Amino acid sequence: MKIKTGLMLGAALLTAGIVQAADSGFDLETVNPEADRKALQAYFKERFPKAEIEDYVNGIYAVDAPSREQWEALEEFPPYEFDIEEGERLFNTPFANGKGYADCFENGGIGIRHNYPYWNKEQGTVKTLEMEINECRENNGEKPLRWSKGDISRISAYMAWTSRDMPINIQVPKDDPRALAAYLDGKKFYYTKRGQLNLSCANCHLQGSNIRVRADIPGPMLGQTTHWPVFRSKWGEMGTLHRRYKGCHRDSRSRPDQPQSETFRNLEYFQSYMNNGLVSNGPGSRK
Amino acid sequence: MIRKTIFAALALSLSATVVAAPDSYQDAFELNRAMYGKGHTFVWQGKEYSTDHPEEIEAAVEANAANAAALIASAKAKNAEVAKLNFEWKLTRDIIKKAEAAAAKGEFRKALNLAAQAKYHARMGIEQYHYAQANWHLSVPE
Ligand code: HEC
Repeated sequence: MKIKTGLMLGAALLTAGIVQAADSGFDLETVNPEADRKALQAYFKERFPKAEIEDYVNGIYAVDAPSREQWEALEEFPPYEFDIEEGERLFNTPFANGKGYADCFENGGIGIRHNYPYWNKEQGTVKTLEMEINECRENNGEKPLRWSKGDISRISAYMAWTSRDMPINIQVPKDDPRALAAYLDGKKFYYTKRGQLNLSCANCHLQGSNIRVRADIPGPMLGQTTHWPVFRSKWGEMGTLHRRYKGCHRDSRSRPDQPQSETFRNLEYFQSYMNNGLVSNGPGSRK
Repeated sequence: MIRKTIFAALALSLSATVVAAPDSYQDAFELNRAMYGKGHTFVWQGKEYSTDHPEEIEAAVEANAANAAALIASAKAKNAEVAKLNFEWKLTRDIIKKAEAAAAKGEFRKALNLAAQAKYHARMGIEQYHYAQANWHLSVPE
């Protein structure tokens, strides 16, 4: 499904961007994903001078030493190991029609996670990995899986595992202005204050990152999407990124969006673009 | 809302002249509401106003089944409006359900107050939406 034209393009964008600190704006004429990405990294460089940019794939543990120790102990026996194995088994179990997941994806589904989500021009929408897992099932006469947890997160975990350490490679293609609009929509969502608490995602994860909010310390915005799905101790199981989005959206005392809504997919698109230059490191574990 | 609390704190820390002269009706309302709560009056540009929210004024009617049903219906409609904008608040539907339950038990005063609260949530969500359209960029660090 996803055509692998990305890498070269990505490299070209990178070198083009370094030359000048281009400005970015807030509408379709002026928004500039690459300038946004650089500005965000610069922001965190200044904010937490001791943290290496590569380390932001580890979320809060990149910037908070005490919780990092706990997490490193947790990662000695990664709680998601069983889910990767189970995910591999599910991935390789043929559908009733004899076909399998490998038939639906580029490169048999191996080592492709870092290209997601991507803009699909034919369908005019952002496609996430989970979405294509379910489409693969439905196209082969199987029932779709529930979005937030369970088998979909295991299959996604296995696919992420096969892409470990591959550089995240999100494109906003220039030949379709709707792609940039989806990016802008995600950006706008992240910065918009909402809910009874009048809080934006950025209030907690940018201005508020590594500052105690009630009992919790929100991690940095940079790197938030590199390591999904996640085995979260609080859940006691794996969950998808959109499960987490829903919980955080609710934390502003809003009625949250549902997983795989257009809003959440655009949000994932924007956030994942910000992580270009980091590596894919899913599945992950978090408190 | 948080804004209100911050505003009140700000107001208390500023001089009396600033407190006496908010430059919009909205600011004057929020300031007086934050300082005195509902059921008070204040003067702004020579005219007297109530610190009650419009929804609280709407709820100050005879507590009967018809009035409760009407306010619940209007809260639902407002909440449908804010839901369309994707700015619905978390508790609003529950509050409406509680209003309906109260009305079903004949507790019309309670039902009116809950419906007013729900409608207020919905209106604030709509305001938040419009505020965001014009101002979301202010929270992006430059
Ligand atoms: C009230 C503060 C608050 C708000 C608002 C908030 N979050 Fe969070 N978020 C947290 C906390 C606390 C955590 C757990 C610590 C961490 O991992 O960052 C978290 C975790 C996350 C994670 C997981 C990070 C990881 O490394 O696995 C993501 C993704 C996330 N938030 C996205 C969002 C999005 C998107 C929004 C806006 C819809 C948002 N958050 C709004 C507090 C908040």
